[in-house]
Amino acid sequence: MSETGIIDYAVLIPLLPMLAFPVILFLGKIFNGTPGWVKNAKEGGIIALTVMGASLVLTLLLIKEHLHHIGSTNVFTWFESSWWNPGADVAITTKVFGFGIHIDHLTVMLLFVAAFLCFLINVFSIGYMNTDPINDNRNHRFYAEFVLFCSGMLGMVLADSFLWLFIFWELMGLCSYLLIGFYWERPSASYAAKKAFLTTRVGDVFLIIGLVMLWNLFDGHLDYAYVFDPVNIAAVNSGDLQIALGMMFIGAVGKSAQFPLHVWLPDAMEGPTPVSALIHAATMVNAGLYLVARMFPFFSGAELGALSTLAIIIACIGGITAVMAALIAFVQMDLKKVLAYSTMSQLAYIFTGLGSALWFANNGHDDLAAFAMGASLFHLFNHAMAKGMLFMASGSVIHEMHHAHHEVAHHDDDHHDDHFDAQSMENMGGLASRMPITATAMFVGSMSIIGIPFIGGFWSKEGIISSAWQVALKEPIFLLPALLILIGAGMTGFYMSRMWFMTFAGKPKTEVAEKVHEQTAWIPIPLVTLTVMTLGAVVLAGMHAGNWLGNFETGHYSNFFDGFGTEIEHVFLNHDPFLMILTYVAIGLSLVLGPSFAMALYGGSLDGGKKAKPWMQWAINLSAKVNKNSNFDNSKWANSSLSDSLHKRLHFDAIYDAAVMKIVVGFANLSAMFDSKVIDGAIKTIESTSQNASRKIRSLTTGSARDYIMMAALGTLAIFILLWGVA
Amino acid sequence: MLVGGLLILVAGLMAFFPSMNSSGETDWISIPLVGFPIVVSCILLAFASQEKRSRKEIIASPIRLFTLCASLIPLAISTALFFDWLILVDWDLMYNEYALEEEYLWIESIGASWHVGMDGLSFPMVWLTTFLVPVTIVMTWNEKHGATYFPLLLMMGGALIGVFVALDLFLFYVFWELTLIPMFFLILKWGGKDRRYAAQKFFIYTFCASVIMLLGLITLYFLQPESSGSGYGTVTGRTFDMTALFTNARSKNAGDSVFLGKDMQNILFAMLMLGFLVKLPAVPFHTWLPDAHVQAPTGGSMLLAGVMLKMGAYGMLRIPIAIFPDALVFYQDIIMAIGLISLVWGAVVCLGQTNLKRMVAYSSVSHMGVILLGIASMQPIGYAAALFMMFAHGIISPMLFAVCGAFKHHYHSMEIGDMRGMARWSPFLAVYMMFAWMASLGLPLLAGFVAELMVLLAYWPAYGWWILLPGFVLAITAAYYLWSMQRTIFEGGDEGQPPESLKGETPPDITLPENIGMIILAVFTVIFGIFPFIALGMMDQWAVALFEGVFITGGI
Repeated sequence: MSETGIIDYAVLIPLLPMLAFPVILFLGKIFNGTPGWVKNAKEGGIIALTVMGASLVLTLLLIKEHLHHIGSTNVFTWFESSWWNPGADVAITTKVFGFGIHIDHLTVMLLFVAAFLCFLINVFSIGYMNTDPINDNRNHRFYAEFVLFCSGMLGMVLADSFLWLFIFWELMGLCSYLLIGFYWERPSASYAAKKAFLTTRVGDVFLIIGLVMLWNLFDGHLDYAYVFDPVNIAAVNSGDLQIALGMMFIGAVGKSAQFPLHVWLPDAMEGPTPVSALIHAATMVNAGLYLVARMFPFFSGAELGALSTLAIIIACIGGITAVMAALIAFVQMDLKKVLAYSTMSQLAYIFTGLGSALWFANNGHDDLAAFAMGASLFHLFNHAMAKGMLFMASGSVIHEMHHAHHEVAHHDDDHHDDHFDAQSMENMGGLASRMPITATAMFVGSMSIIGIPFIGGFWSKEGIISSAWQVALKEPIFLLPALLILIGAGMTGFYMSRMWFMTFAGKPKTEVAEKVHEQTAWIPIPLVTLTVMTLGAVVLAGMHAGNWLGNFETGHYSNFFDGFGTEIEHVFLNHDPFLMILTYVAIGLSLVLGPSFAMALYGGSLDGGKKAKPWMQWAINLSAKVNKNSNFDNSKWANSSLSDSLHKRLHFDAIYDAAVMKIVVGFANLSAMFDSKVIDGAIKTIESTSQNASRKIRSLTTGSARDYIMMAALGTLAIFILLWGVA
Repeated sequence: MLVGGLLILVAGLMAFFPSMNSSGETDWISIPLVGFPIVVSCILLAFASQEKRSRKEIIASPIRLFTLCASLIPLAISTALFFDWLILVDWDLMYNEYALEEEYLWIESIGASWHVGMDGLSFPMVWLTTFLVPVTIVMTWNEKHGATYFPLLLMMGGALIGVFVALDLFLFYVFWELTLIPMFFLILKWGGKDRRYAAQKFFIYTFCASVIMLLGLITLYFLQPESSGSGYGTVTGRTFDMTALFTNARSKNAGDSVFLGKDMQNILFAMLMLGFLVKLPAVPFHTWLPDAHVQAPTGGSMLLAGVMLKMGAYGMLRIPIAIFPDALVFYQDIIMAIGLISLVWGAVVCLGQTNLKRMVAYSSVSHMGVILLGIASMQPIGYAAALFMMFAHGIISPMLFAVCGAFKHHYHSMEIGDMRGMARWSPFLAVYMMFAWMASLGLPLLAGFVAELMVLLAYWPAYGWWILLPGFVLAITAAYYLWSMQRTIFEGGDEGQPPESLKGETPPDITLPENIGMIILAVFTVIFGIFPFIALGMMDQWAVALFEGVFITGGI
């Protein structure tokens, strides 16, 4: 089915950035260091911005065209190959591997997230990257890899088959590798890059095996149009389908940094902050969620209850990761690492929500499935916006800390300290008055992640928690993830508040923090935009964004106030008393319990006479009050063995490293030795034996005529004897 | 000097006037693709060997230029054939049909003839060879003793093409062994420290295997039904002609009957396969390869890995599989096992290597295992994948070896532990290394991925959960490539640690000719990754023809 319209040009959305990749690299190599390139082109930043802007415009037009109906178009045939069906009437059939564009609600939502954030983070990068001397003459590499990544993300979302989803998925993996290793000369960065690529690669291996199974199950098709057809799904053995989807899910676990393949994400923070914001918070890590969300039609189309196990596994992985990551986030001092663990935890929420949606879908509860699906995807949206903003805000803090550190070091050489860590929250404090825009953005973003009522993520998180509990009422095993994410809500409240208060409230903890002020151009633009976006989620909630995401064709809003009313009613005055109590418990945990612990531990008023903006000042005052009134003794906890394990990230990294270095590499070294000593040794033995033998035979060749005549005579005699014997 | 010049002129003219056959059509294969490079290189070698040692350096550069031009002629012809520019060639052939087929009687008494032709199996390899020879010449532009080095590369190309176009077992074997000669001298004269040992090992090991193959071929020759038609020997009453053999075998294999009987099929299949498996090489017959590669000069390695290894795979697909389909079914699981072992063993051993070039050599062993998996899958998509793997690996592996060569050339060391942070000194080399490594580990949109994907697709229905092993290899491959990159070009670039073998000099970046060669290889890796159908179309048609012509009519 092909149609005309913007969709004909949709292929340009990933293609333009992909073409910009070599252009920026090439121009960068030529013009590096020239004033025009540095000042006007921002070392490629402006080219990237133009391209991303064009992609954004096309994206918006495309979304406008396809807000309520599915569109698809075929772009080109990648290759064709043949298949032999022994014994069939038509013995050889042709399998087509094509590329096309497919647009539905998932695409529309994720495409908007990707294009919008790619553009904003590009704006941010121009402020962040181009003002740091360490990046001079290599920013073109950053922008080139940046646009290639954007191309991968946009392509993955638009692709019309699991095959091309995988291809763009790997392209993103490559860019992630390149960008984490942007400062390749640092051993930690090149180690982190390798770790990220290899860990996700383990997942990818299972993903591709899953795809291979799926391809064989669906008679040589991986395109959505065929595999999502209920007729074709019904024809497939559900047990096999579950295994194939399960394999694919492992790929999603790797890409979205879920337990047990989560170890790469915190280390990935070695990359420049815009990279963390874009790839490791807002877009690429969502690829795993997108893949799982894409599986929805399988679950609704397959035999009732046949895929429940997988849905439960997905939710459990989510629940476990949510709490585990939140726990580790409790003790992180590095601003970006807190956010990294927070990302893992929030993605885990979405996995649990998707697990619930898939369970409902597979057990015939279509309405509940649509609701859970909508809530999960809406949370994906909210989280991407908020987390992208949080990372950019953290980038802004780090950037200004760097600046301030340089100033301090410059003015007073005695204080020069090369080991100053601009990312550590132990060196910050009291920044609320010095960086009002950043502090506001961080404030709103944190509230959205925590789930403070009416702001951003609140709407979607409530939906996820209530969905999970609704499944738990029907399926007892689901109590595990449901309980875990409920506890996780309180933990989120703690670690996000802790981060904000440690950074922005209290007195500055170092001299550097006193000198910090907002000064870099370009950076505030995305911060303000995303703050508005996050606050605006309330409007989207009123517009039934969740409903629409759950039910694409009919779920869109008719009347804003009706929609808003329904949403409020659903959350606060639910007719089901169980859900209502659940909501208030969740709110109590995330709004009251978590933040108050954080205030008690880390709250405090700003230094002498400084005032933050009024919308933040109350929180700071409150925190100071709570902090003074509570004499909460933390030392016991801080010295506990659990805290120690949390500092060591629950030992996962150490165990994995040891397993790889000792077992795998050890086995490889042994194999290499076996190869040269035994396999090649056997050949060498044959060599030397035959050489020795020939040396011995050669000794017969004496060169003396007498010996030869003797031998000839003996030989003749032997022949005669033989002949005589035969006769 | 004058004579030499005249001879070169004559040879050049020969190329431009493809000979006419009896029906007045142009023979595009015999002289332009096969005869011309071999004759020209022989003339150049003879010419250069007459010169005094001091003059050899002077004539090296004109000879180099001349060989480059000479190698571009076959490339132009094969590229034109690829895109139907020259004449309309229909690559959609039935089984045992060949394009541009030519036959000239040669040794009538035993039924050997100069019979050449191309189909979807051989043509991609022919194009690859014609493509790689000039690229290799450019890449190793500054190789010492150029007066004899470059003609040897050209001869290598001609002999390799001869193997791929031969449609006569006798001719096939002649070219098969002819390829050893230039490679032997390339390793012996331009190789590293242990070159004598490596050259001997390479020659004797592969030659022994070839002898077993030859015995198999001769047995096959004498067991075939006697006849007195054209092409059949006047004395022996048998023929070396492959097309006649294929037709015979096909009719004798039809239905439930088996050509030569089941046992004889199994024996002959094993004999032929042994020769091809050593050439491929497959574990446990692979140990000549790392030695040969590590000692061989860059150009030798590029052609060795790029085309010469594929002779093994080509031979398998051309002869035993087409003549003995029942034996193929008999050995199917064993072939799969050998492929799997090569794949896994090669990859695991790679991880334990400290020498860059040795690692790359073992990765070739690993990748060649994929071809065996494709063959064992018994699906056209698997066969097309095997062909595409040969082709893609033929573009990617020369780049891998060129990168290793650049390390050797500029840093005089290929030990991974010797250097750190080389991207600081050689940014271009680092980029090419990254690209080639990524291409080899099967990154999508680069040529290698398509083949791996297709093999896996065909593999699952045939062997099920054994697919986890190739999957494991995908991860291990990424591990050894990334790890070696981390330890050589990244990590510690702030200060950088050039290898001691440089003796304190500043490490240089790569030279202009190397740059050009690398870019050409990289561009084609991308082209065939994004547009695989260019080459895959004819490969798929060939696989379908094989299945229809051999397996389905053979009642497999």
